[in-house]
Amino acid sequence: MRRLAVVLLLAAGLASPALPAAGKTLVFCSEGNPEALNPQLVTTTTGMNAARPMFDTLVAFAPGAGSLEPALAESWEISPDGRVYTFRLRPGVPFHARGDFTPTRTMEAQDVLFSLERQWKEDHPFHDVSGGRYDYFRDNGMGELLASIEALDPTTVRITLTRPHAPFLATLADPFNAILSAEYAAHVLAAGTPEELDRRPIGTGPFLLVDYRKDVAVRYRMFEHYWGGRQPIESLVFSITPNPAVRLTKLRSGECHVMAFPDPADVAAIAQDPDLVLLQQEGLNVGYMAMNVTMPPFDDPLVREAISHAVDRQAIIDTVYGGAGVAAKNPIPPTMWAYNDAVVPDPVDIDRAQALLAQAGHADGFDSELWYMPVSRPYAPDGRRIAEMIQADLAKLGIRLTLKTADWDAYRLTLQAGEAPLALFGWTGDNGDPDNFLNVLLGCTAARTGGNNVAKWCDPAYDALVSRAQQVSDQGERTRLYHEAQEIAAAARPWIPIAHSVVFMATRREVRGFVMDPLGRHLFKGVDLVQ
Amino acid sequence: MRITSKIALVGGIPIAIAAAIAVAAWLLLAEAERARDGAALAVSAHRGLADLTRASDDFVQALPTQRIEHAIRFSVLADGAQATLGALAASEEDEARRAAAGRLAVALGIYREQMDELVALASTSDALIAEMGLRASALVGLADEARARQHASNGDIVATITDDDRRMRLTRDIVDDAQEVRAAFLALEASRARAWQDAIADPAEAERRRGFALARLRNAGADLARSFGYASRDEESAQADAVVAAYADAVERGRATGREAAALDAWVEDVIKIGATESRARHERIAQLLAYSVEAGETEQATQNVAVETLKLGRRTADALAGRDVAAVAAIVEESRALLDHMADLPISPLIQTEMLDAIEGWSERLSTTAESLAAQNALLEEMGQTGLAMLLGVQDLNEALADRAKRIGVTVRQILVLGAGIGLLLGAIAAFLVARSITGPLKRLREDMLVLAKDPAAGIIAPPKRGWGFGRDGRIRDELASMAHAVNVFVTEIARRESDLRRAKDEVDLTLDELRRTQADLIQAEKLASLGQLVAGVAHEINTPLGVALTTATSLEGEVSRLGGAVDGGRIRRADLDRSLARLKEGAGLVHVNLARAAEMVQSFKRVAADQTSEDRRRFDMAQWLHELLTSLGPALRKRGHAVETVCPDGLVLDTYPGALAQVLTNLVMNSVDHAYPGGEAGAMRIAVTRAAPGLVRIVYEDDGRGIAPASVAKVFEPFFTTGRERGNTGLGLHIVYNLVTAKLDGRIELDPRPGSGARFVIDLPISPEGREGLLPAAAQ
Repeated sequence: MRRLAVVLLLAAGLASPALPAAGKTLVFCSEGNPEALNPQLVTTTTGMNAARPMFDTLVAFAPGAGSLEPALAESWEISPDGRVYTFRLRPGVPFHARGDFTPTRTMEAQDVLFSLERQWKEDHPFHDVSGGRYDYFRDNGMGELLASIEALDPTTVRITLTRPHAPFLATLADPFNAILSAEYAAHVLAAGTPEELDRRPIGTGPFLLVDYRKDVAVRYRMFEHYWGGRQPIESLVFSITPNPAVRLTKLRSGECHVMAFPDPADVAAIAQDPDLVLLQQEGLNVGYMAMNVTMPPFDDPLVREAISHAVDRQAIIDTVYGGAGVAAKNPIPPTMWAYNDAVVPDPVDIDRAQALLAQAGHADGFDSELWYMPVSRPYAPDGRRIAEMIQADLAKLGIRLTLKTADWDAYRLTLQAGEAPLALFGWTGDNGDPDNFLNVLLGCTAARTGGNNVAKWCDPAYDALVSRAQQVSDQGERTRLYHEAQEIAAAARPWIPIAHSVVFMATRREVRGFVMDPLGRHLFKGVDLVQ
Repeated sequence: MRITSKIALVGGIPIAIAAAIAVAAWLLLAEAERARDGAALAVSAHRGLADLTRASDDFVQALPTQRIEHAIRFSVLADGAQATLGALAASEEDEARRAAAGRLAVALGIYREQMDELVALASTSDALIAEMGLRASALVGLADEARARQHASNGDIVATITDDDRRMRLTRDIVDDAQEVRAAFLALEASRARAWQDAIADPAEAERRRGFALARLRNAGADLARSFGYASRDEESAQADAVVAAYADAVERGRATGREAAALDAWVEDVIKIGATESRARHERIAQLLAYSVEAGETEQATQNVAVETLKLGRRTADALAGRDVAAVAAIVEESRALLDHMADLPISPLIQTEMLDAIEGWSERLSTTAESLAAQNALLEEMGQTGLAMLLGVQDLNEALADRAKRIGVTVRQILVLGAGIGLLLGAIAAFLVARSITGPLKRLREDMLVLAKDPAAGIIAPPKRGWGFGRDGRIRDELASMAHAVNVFVTEIARRESDLRRAKDEVDLTLDELRRTQADLIQAEKLASLGQLVAGVAHEINTPLGVALTTATSLEGEVSRLGGAVDGGRIRRADLDRSLARLKEGAGLVHVNLARAAEMVQSFKRVAADQTSEDRRRFDMAQWLHELLTSLGPALRKRGHAVETVCPDGLVLDTYPGALAQVLTNLVMNSVDHAYPGGEAGAMRIAVTRAAPGLVRIVYEDDGRGIAPASVAKVFEPFFTTGRERGNTGLGLHIVYNLVTAKLDGRIELDPRPGSGARFVIDLPISPEGREGLLPAAAQ
């Protein structure tokens, strides 16, 4: 009878084949290919957002708000002189385990050291892996800022700065300061494939990478042992869909649940669609046209002034942005405390523009290139149309522009390399600090070849102001410094600031917990689907 | 040892041996029975195990849903087989076979464990197969969902494109109209620039041209305003009217300044710039949507293909699994991995791509697990097959061993029976022989002693048998032979005593008989004298009774003794017979004694009256003549009854003998016929035939045609005093005298020719002369 019981017990298994319940899949129709999956290698929000599900930083901005909160660091202390930061790490944070890698330990101080030193130290074994460019790290001046990084014990990290740096904590919340697994790095290095570290990264975030296919999708799977708890959705897919109309179509048909940056022309229709939810937020961003001051004739301030008087920003905002944005006159958006509203933008004045251009010796105009973004950005829904309108505007000055573009990643690289004379670009603040705009986008550090200062404009006075602003913690003082810097920028006109856009996102009605983030982050942690 | 014991011994040995054989046979047969039972159990176990292996085969081949029945059946059968093997082991006394049964039980245990493992594996793999089915159908479901979504999306795209197209046309119309406004404006400006020269040349013509140009501008402005209106851009429509009108009016009034012209120019350029870019943007949207639509179609196709591919794989998998083809399953695993790679590159809807990839990946993983499980199952099945075969062979061996043992025991039993019977018979025979000898030995001695005794009762008593043959050390009687010897001794002693008495009496009788014989001779003499007959008759009558009784008794005694002797000789003597014989002998002896005493007394008195005896001289005479004379003398006696006597005699036959004696012989024969042959008084015919029988011999055949002599009387006719006509006064001496005269006096021979149913016939052979006496011997032999 005992045996019979065993048989019957086994037979119970025969009767009910169990299929693991298919987890929920959330598809986000993203705007473009991430330039990389390792946030250390990216500078665009697209790349950062693609890396974001997989990684954590020591500290993080609360979703939807600008305040910093503990993440992988449970707590921290800042020395009175503002140079020594001591972080106590959260214990027991597991790294992703995949078929090809199973971590043997949880996150420790050495992982923090690895993540920062790889970008910082040129003799680091991984420094030159995957191109060895850490643009964001460098644009931030991290290399000069850091004095030492020490692991006091496995859960304590002490970072010493060469000087006080007010935005340092916020900088640590930036994706490029995500914590990678040193063990995984050793693993892939031992396997002779160190670039796997960046191709198939391992992090501690709520989702782990499954697969990335260019132009198709990035696929993630929920990380069961995420220190912040299980995620409601099993699968997360970034379906790469550059065209906003197609994204909307997909959203409508249910092929995706969340879409990035709908065409402002469709916003009204989305708002009326009972199946869809329109999200919008004044963006912590700026869309601009950078004029490469290292390339003639844009090295001539008169030329830049002429152009500034020719471009009809409002027409662009009215048409391309659908009115969802404000004309820009400063590099930082007006929502930022350091915004200098006293700056007077150049009015559209073709006669003056022509006069200025003639004064600069270009009465007959000239030929040049205008690069526009191939994908819609939060700060520029339709780069090409903006470019076309600017092309029409500058045609009045006899400037014949050839419109050029490239793949998003190549585009970015071209711009950062300083190879585009005129280029549409933009920025979404990553941490809410003015430094994140004024320094990263116009500082001399970022003006290096490959830097994110695509105008390659380096004004020592400006840079001194911005650098000074980094080191003072008094906001009034910083405001004053930034105001002055904005005035210098407005006078020097390395950019034609175009707009601070209202950022739109749309989700399907069944999406729960998705909130728009002022920092342009697409946060899927905690997002759920409810039928 | 007593005879009964010996006989018991003789009978007992075979019985004991038979009993021993029976016991041995019973034990062996019980053993054989056990072996046969064991063999039957082994056969049953074999059947059970065969059923068991069949049940496991059935389990393997069954549909997943039906496996449980076979698993339960297997379990039940295994319980049965285990019980049978247990019984087999318990019933078996032979250590080796019990161990074999034990090993079988162990093998069965292993087999069951293997089966348990197989059931577990099969349930896992069945679950996997079922799960794969679910996954495949989930894939199809996903593909269908995607298609449904795509269809909805297609409708949406069409609507969007239609709208975009409409807007794009409107925008193009606006741009076209704005271009026309601009062209009219430029034409007007050109005409205004040339107006001064034209006015000089031909003012009217100039005015007319200006009028046309103005009209063209106004018309273009109106068209633009209408186009704005069509696009529901009323504000811009009004603006178009206003801007164009302002400039046109100013020109018409001749007060046009550069300000109105510049305003119109800037506005129209803006309209064109915005419209053109919008149109281009719309075109781009449409192109993108169309591209997406095409791509979505491809996606759908790809998704369907994947689903179809998956279903195909699923079917092939089911076939491979049903065929338990591990290699094919492994190949399918490889293909599914390839499909997985392919799928990841396909533009499948990301919404389901993950699920599909997961489904196929899970499926592929499960399949490879299943393949492993299948391989394990196959290995296990092979193992089970071997175990099962070993079990079956083991139980078969056991069965054969048991059957063989049963057979061997049967053979042994037969051999024991045959041998035992042989030994029993031999021992019985030997015992019987020895016992018979131990009985017959003394009996023979006893007989010999008794025969000696019979010959000479005075020889002494029978020696007791040897010690140990019936007599104990103390000489006491131990067996029947000893008792018999003892009884015979007693008897012989008694007989001897009685016989001496009898002998004395007999001696007396002999004396008397001698007297009697003398008297008889006298009587015969007297008879010859023809007067003696009466005397003899009288004497005989008196003496007859006691002598007869004595004689009869003696005869009876003689018979008794002879019987006893015979019994003794035959070894069949029994105590009761011996006792009875003794009683008879004793009684007989008494009777003889009394009657002989009386006869003797009578003869003494008869002697006194006995007459003298005559004798006849010998002479030579002619037989025929003599015979004639004799018959003549007999004539009166014969004629009285009408009898006739025929004579046949060769002439010239001369005899040299005693004619008186011969006459007496023939007279007596004739008178005997007369007296006895014709009791009814009828006339008889007698015949006397004389022939020469042989040289020196003459044969006289006398015969009558009377009633003949009864066969019972044939032997007695020549005895003295034998007569059948005593009541008629015959003495019974007539033929006796004949006999005596022929044999004693005449030196011849006489014989009665017994002819049943005919008359009496006597044959007398006589020597012709005293010298011819030797020739009698051959004749007497006939």
